[in-house]
Amino acid sequence: MNGKTIEIIAIIGMLLATGVTFGLYQINFQGFGHLTNYSKTPAYSLNGTVLYTNGTLFLHITRIAGPDTYGGFVVLVQVLYPNGSVFYEWNASYLGHIPQKDIWNKYDLPGHLTHGDGFALVVPLGQVSVVMLNIPKPVPPGTYIIRVYDADGQYEAYGIKFQVVVTAQSS
Amino acid sequence: MIYNFSTSDRMSVMQTEVTQKFLPVLRITLGWMFFSAFVRRTINVPDKLNPHSTAYVGGKLITFLPHAWSPIVPTLEYTLLHPTLLYYFLLLFTALEAMFGLFMILGFMTRLSGFVITVLSWSIGAAGGWLGPTCVDEWQIAAVEGAAALMFMFTGSYYLSIDQLIAKKYPNGLKIGKLHIPLW
Repeated sequence: MNGKTIEIIAIIGMLLATGVTFGLYQINFQGFGHLTNYSKTPAYSLNGTVLYTNGTLFLHITRIAGPDTYGGFVVLVQVLYPNGSVFYEWNASYLGHIPQKDIWNKYDLPGHLTHGDGFALVVPLGQVSVVMLNIPKPVPPGTYIIRVYDADGQYEAYGIKFQVVVTAQSS
Repeated sequence: MIYNFSTSDRMSVMQTEVTQKFLPVLRITLGWMFFSAFVRRTINVPDKLNPHSTAYVGGKLITFLPHAWSPIVPTLEYTLLHPTLLYYFLLLFTALEAMFGLFMILGFMTRLSGFVITVLSWSIGAAGGWLGPTCVDEWQIAAVEGAAALMFMFTGSYYLSIDQLIAKKYPNGLKIGKLHIPLW
């Protein structure tokens, strides 16, 4: 190979490497516009949650953002009327003592399981879980909002609300 | 082999010779970044490869899921749902890091090692690079180590390398049939 060919190969290689670097920077952090740091504040998705009129709530909870080194801590779960008033709620103490048999984890890997730690419901990053909760009274048919609060007192991050609208189903 | 260098080509060769002398510092560091992953998982903390331990690196892959590059997500999910496959994947990944990390340190088949490390780096970037802002590991592996490895794919290595010895005998690389594959 002569010098010219080597130069061309070097330029292509440089474009490829810097292209991947800039591309991943934009894909991962949207950094050319407004930098998004998804690993700063915990966020949760409740898609798939089901509420039954007999009072059983299957809370589908996935932690979709936040630090990877420790869990997101859910300290309050609420069942709200559409106007925002509380129908029923579970506090941090209750959530921290949910027996493991009432929690199903999609990915069965030690250290990354959703569990109660005595103070909150711990939801590790990326884990997909279903938590069974019981309301000790019948739930009138209708529409409800299921909302969770993180330990930082928020129920919203990155424009995502940690809530879902459900219709109470007969069991 | 007959070389027919022009004056400018000869100058380029001289510059390349000078530049090559300064490459081992990056090559050895880059190699160690990958070889040390093997050391950590087998010597320092063997539990990192124990599926029943909380230190198991398989759990790390769960944290990649939420914002992994979308074409990667189905493969990640499938691997996480099949523990045996996950275990063998981790063994393979660790073995590749060990082997090509060591090759890079020694300057053995540097061009091939550069290619493999580039692929490893960029796949980590596509899967877990979004964790970069707080734990810069994944993002910097993809960006800096990927670029450095790609560079070695083009430069190869001469000084302080096994390739230097091999190239004396086989200057055109590995010969398969009529093909010359430049592994060093």
